[in-house]
Amino acid sequence: MSYSVQSALLIALVALPFSAVLALAIPAWFARRASERAVTRVVGWAFGSAVITALLLAAALSQRGGTISASLGDWFRVDHYAFSITLVGDGLSIPFALFSAALVGLIGAFSRRYLHREAGFYRFYLLLSLFGAGVELVVLAGSLDLVIFGWELVGLTSALLIAFFSERKKPVEHGLRAFVTYRACDLGLLVAAVWLHFRAGESTIIAVPGARAFAGFPVPPGAFDATVLGLLLLLAAMGKSAQVPFGGWLPRALEGPTPSSAIFYGAISVHLGAYLLLRAAPILERAPIAAAAVVLIGALTALHGTFVGRAQTDIKSALAYASMTQVGLIFVEIGLGFRYLALVHIVGHAAVRSSQILRSPSLLHDHHHLERAMAETLPRTGKHLERWVPRALQPWLYRHALERGYFDAILRDHLIGGLVRTLRRIDTLDQRWAHWLSRPLDGALESPVLPPHQKEERS
Amino acid sequence: MTSSTPSRERRASIAELCEHAAHLLPQQAPLHAFVHHNTLHLFEHLPFEEAVVEGARQFRTEPFQTEAAFARHLAGGRIKPEDIDAVLAEDSALDAAYGRPILPGGPTRRQLRALRLRHLFEVPRGPALLWLLGEADVRTRLSPLVEEGRREALLKRASSDGAREGREGSASKGRQARLLERLWAHLEQAREPHREATSWARRRDQVLASTGFDTDELVHPLLIRLTAAFLDQGVAYWSMPEREAGFLSAFRRLYGRPFGPPDRFLRGLSEELRRQEAEGWDAERTIRWALEALRVPEGDWDKAIEATLLSLRGWAGMMYQFEQRPDRAPVEARSARLIDYLAVELTLDVFATQSALGDHGDEVAFDPQSGEGTPAAQAAAKRPRDLTPSSHLELVYEAFVLAQLAPIDLDLFADERHARAFLDEVRAFDEMARRRALHLAYERRHRVVVLDGLLAHARVSVTPPPKPELQVVLCMDDREESLRRHIEESCPTAETFGYAGFFGVPMSYKGLDDVRPRPLCPVVVRPRHLVVERAVDPSGQEAYRTARRKQGALTHSLSVGSKTLTRGSLMTATLGFTSIMPLVGRALFPRLWERWSRPLREGLVERPKTRLQIERAEGDDAVNEDGLLLGFLVSEMVNLVFTVLTNSALSPGRSPIVLIAGHGSSSLNNPHEAAYDCGATGGGRGGPNARAFAAMANHPAVREGLRARGIDIPEGTWFLGALHDTADDSMTYYDDDLVPEALLPALERAKRVMAEACARNAHERCRRFESAPKGASPRKTLAHAEGRARDLAQPRPECGHATNAVCIVGRRARTRGLFLDRRSFLVSYDPTTDATNEVLAGLLMAVGPVGAGINLEYYFSYVDSAGYGCGSKLPHNIVGLFGVMDGHASDLRTGLPWQMVEIHEPVRLLLIAEIEPERLERLLSERPALDRLVRNGWIQVVAWSPEADRMHVFQRGAFRPYTPETTAIPIVDRSAEFYGDSIDHLGPAHIRSSFREALA
Repeated sequence: MSYSVQSALLIALVALPFSAVLALAIPAWFARRASERAVTRVVGWAFGSAVITALLLAAALSQRGGTISASLGDWFRVDHYAFSITLVGDGLSIPFALFSAALVGLIGAFSRRYLHREAGFYRFYLLLSLFGAGVELVVLAGSLDLVIFGWELVGLTSALLIAFFSERKKPVEHGLRAFVTYRACDLGLLVAAVWLHFRAGESTIIAVPGARAFAGFPVPPGAFDATVLGLLLLLAAMGKSAQVPFGGWLPRALEGPTPSSAIFYGAISVHLGAYLLLRAAPILERAPIAAAAVVLIGALTALHGTFVGRAQTDIKSALAYASMTQVGLIFVEIGLGFRYLALVHIVGHAAVRSSQILRSPSLLHDHHHLERAMAETLPRTGKHLERWVPRALQPWLYRHALERGYFDAILRDHLIGGLVRTLRRIDTLDQRWAHWLSRPLDGALESPVLPPHQKEERS
Repeated sequence: MTSSTPSRERRASIAELCEHAAHLLPQQAPLHAFVHHNTLHLFEHLPFEEAVVEGARQFRTEPFQTEAAFARHLAGGRIKPEDIDAVLAEDSALDAAYGRPILPGGPTRRQLRALRLRHLFEVPRGPALLWLLGEADVRTRLSPLVEEGRREALLKRASSDGAREGREGSASKGRQARLLERLWAHLEQAREPHREATSWARRRDQVLASTGFDTDELVHPLLIRLTAAFLDQGVAYWSMPEREAGFLSAFRRLYGRPFGPPDRFLRGLSEELRRQEAEGWDAERTIRWALEALRVPEGDWDKAIEATLLSLRGWAGMMYQFEQRPDRAPVEARSARLIDYLAVELTLDVFATQSALGDHGDEVAFDPQSGEGTPAAQAAAKRPRDLTPSSHLELVYEAFVLAQLAPIDLDLFADERHARAFLDEVRAFDEMARRRALHLAYERRHRVVVLDGLLAHARVSVTPPPKPELQVVLCMDDREESLRRHIEESCPTAETFGYAGFFGVPMSYKGLDDVRPRPLCPVVVRPRHLVVERAVDPSGQEAYRTARRKQGALTHSLSVGSKTLTRGSLMTATLGFTSIMPLVGRALFPRLWERWSRPLREGLVERPKTRLQIERAEGDDAVNEDGLLLGFLVSEMVNLVFTVLTNSALSPGRSPIVLIAGHGSSSLNNPHEAAYDCGATGGGRGGPNARAFAAMANHPAVREGLRARGIDIPEGTWFLGALHDTADDSMTYYDDDLVPEALLPALERAKRVMAEACARNAHERCRRFESAPKGASPRKTLAHAEGRARDLAQPRPECGHATNAVCIVGRRARTRGLFLDRRSFLVSYDPTTDATNEVLAGLLMAVGPVGAGINLEYYFSYVDSAGYGCGSKLPHNIVGLFGVMDGHASDLRTGLPWQMVEIHEPVRLLLIAEIEPERLERLLSERPALDRLVRNGWIQVVAWSPEADRMHVFQRGAFRPYTPETTAIPIVDRSAEFYGDSIDHLGPAHIRSSFREALA
């Protein structure tokens, strides 16, 4: 296979999911409703082909090693900057791209039955393919600038799928919560891109000298720059991968249909932060402080996740925290430099967790059958905790776990809450001022600043 | 704190208030023990039509289908104009006011209502109406609904008015506008300002109204977490410490510790809890403190308690279920008490309210410990809620449009009396009243189709052959109607019977693999006997058990381990990728995957041969720890078998094999799996009952005893127990190795007939699934049905009781060969052998409430999926092994999921019994529980004369003769020919092949 064919395949790997998005979006734009069968065919075909493409690329890559790149030219160019659309396939991105395409395809096939007759069927598949396209873009992007593009698509589709059942209030709130967290953390990615341009001159992914098959972001010359960059990318990764202290959105994200929860929070989306850090491995190598921060955050998350997860009484939250735990460990592995281990761990964990989430509605069935197999009540878990933790501490620890580490309360009451209360005070002052201004003057009619019933509803 | 030493009466009253409010809570048991029941059971003392409206008010739900849905039914012919006329005629018969004109020369109430129901125009609400009135020309142009004749008359009138006023020649548009504006002005002047003051049941409602802050947003997430942790049956790895002492105590232990949670609203909570604990407060004391702190006037405590519990009614209801029925806990009972839960909720309410008012200090101040609210707070408490300015406009608008449509002299409205009378009339027939009338019309159409079908069928029906080749007893379940029909179609010499699916064997049953026995009988019956399944060869059992246990232990440790830190990382990082295999299998080839992977999941050791231990020796009255007798005495068995054979009019000896088949349903991706099982066994599977019954009827000593009582079961007749799986349409036969050799050919034949009938049954079921292959053979559709039951992605494994609507208690001969579309419960009963009607009374006492329970649960879950049902299955999340939530912290969702009820037709059960009306009336009057259901209209009852083709429908308190609308009925050879590719509900049809040999 010639290099140009490989480049073309690389482009196809990103273009196929996007073509599915277009094939679904264009009829929708003209208010044409395709049948369920047509929709799933389009998605199945696009992601099925993407899987084959990725397999071909993987075969080519395993033969000759190194990286494959493809350029689609520049999107735009100003004085000292060009936004070039470049894709890179290497030992990291091709397996990841293959795995993601396969999972999206499988979830697509699965959801054909799961979402049958659901009012949002079309919307689900549109968002699922847009998500798949975003993931392929993040994975194969040849520059940090392009990563941002895919990253935002993933964040947006994620929030929209959490809010899938928009006729209820909670899903929408929770979708918003995830979206706001993403946006706050994406700041890291944006600043990192700018920083990289200023300090390293470019953000294009280049082959890493030491590692044979992995490419990575260019490393800026100074150790300080590397540290700052490492920390900024960590911030971005923490949001997407639900690391401490930003992880509160993860259990809330399971409001969407079960298959979307499985692929986003069991499989792909939650691992994208880890993927970003794998790409940034050369920078982390250069910046021990940032690497230590990655290890620290990962370790804290793993502890938090395993601890909180043990007190969860609903199956989806228990799985969400189990997921958080493993992603935390993957962060630790990346921080310590075990890249291959991290990659294997990501794939293994994604497969296990997404299967479990898909199976979660059968919990009662499974529990019943397990009891019958054992012919007794299932053995109690958590005994060693009771044995090791002093009795006096147990309720305290349990409450900590039940309250999910109090992160929500701290966020609501002490970070956001303070801001809200300040604004409310200002609002009260403002209202008083408005009242004073609009006080009835002699002979004048009452000035309608606010009709009375509206005033009551405010605050 | 004013009262530190409460009086005895008050102490009692809080518990009573709590108990009283508890009855409003959903009565759904943990999901594994799902039993259908009337969602509005508490309101059964009211007539159905009032009760649904009262329930709607209490729970903020919908009482009927929406008006838009009814409009579609009208347009689609599901409701016919004559149905509406008939309903109004019924109402008129009760109230003379229907016949009087509303206005001089104007229409009567009946005419006006008929007109309104024919024009189900929408009355926009609030801003939409304001927009319409302000921006569109509705006030100046005749409504497009006005018919041509009326339009001309109105325009003529307008122009003559114009002429009188000397405005000859002005455009018709202008004349029209003036006419209508005058009408509008008259109506608007006549309306009475209609303000309603709102009182708040809970302090929270007041805080929400005055500050816009909902304290439930603070309280509910915490309360949900706590309740779930307390009740959890084994989802959490670590269980709630010290929960044995009860909910309130566990809450105090957890939250009374120093260094409380950082939530602002919980400040001071730990001190308060410690104080209460130190002073030894019980739940009632705490509730009283909280209600006083929330300053709920004592007279309103009942309402406050009710509203507080209802604010999270799923959870409160589950707490109550654990309190009332500890035996139904999925794994282990809890020391649950609803009053503890109420104490915790109110305590949290106190702190949340305090905190919310603190944040909005300027508007309302509030101190739970002492002082009064500020004047602003008091004012807020008294302020009536302003109705939006548009709400009385809605009435004017509706009257305005209706006045154009109705044959009314518009000048009459110049007189305010007339205008007001008209407005009152319009208001009296508001949306709720219209939906009620439409609902009755909707039900009437169904009733007419069914009754006409039954009567017409009787005219073409042929008597079946005298000597049946095979007798099959199935559950009375509506889902078995089609199976019975297909058995008779495949084998016209077969005779079928319908009986409550526990086959008269009220027992507690422990299968070979069961951890604990479970009752297999109607919920109202308390079993006194335990039946155990044992392996014939104990050593085989040993090997089987060991293998199964190993398998189970491995699965369990993988499932637990994968969620932990260390084991989880080892597992996922090493062999995790192998999980991709089941993912591929489940997503792409669900049926094959299930087949291949079964040995992996269930082990390779074959299940040993077993028998039921059914007989207890005379004089052995030892009971086990649950107070159950181990097996039945021969005399008890004789009684049991005798009763069933007599009640179902089954005369054994007519065929070599009598097949007794219970039913159950197994499926994946289905937290509500138990809701698809057999209601007559209390939500279990009826196989063991059938097996037990067959074993009894084959028992030589039992046969001896029966002979003494006049029932002779000859040597050449064998009873065979079986289980029909309604999801995959498979049959499991029990103890068929015991069948005497001479009967083996008959056994083979019976199994072949059943296999064919099951395949055809699957074919008929698949017509209702949109995703099933169309035009496929029965074999193919059987495979499809099987695939659905095994598919992890399938939210609709089967349709359950959806579309159930009829229950026929009578001889099969009268319904044999009648296509009833799987919509009818069929109970075998022979009036000719029941001179005293005792048998019928017993049957009705059982099927009436059970059938109504199933039917009404479907009704309510359909008409308000979000309020009464549990919404869509798709976001469901199983919590604690007892219920489902939407997402991670919602109220516990009770009722049926939308996917289960979506093809249902919400009509009340039409119970048709073979008996003369006078006798039925007497029978009912002697049984108040049943009479209440009938008289209050929770079921529709029809008396079908055993001797003649006459029917009487119970209406307006009496049985009234029924006159059929049509005598025609479609006649086809086979069921499949009739339903074809249709996916919709179908009416009755006569099936010839059920009688083929009889004809020949």
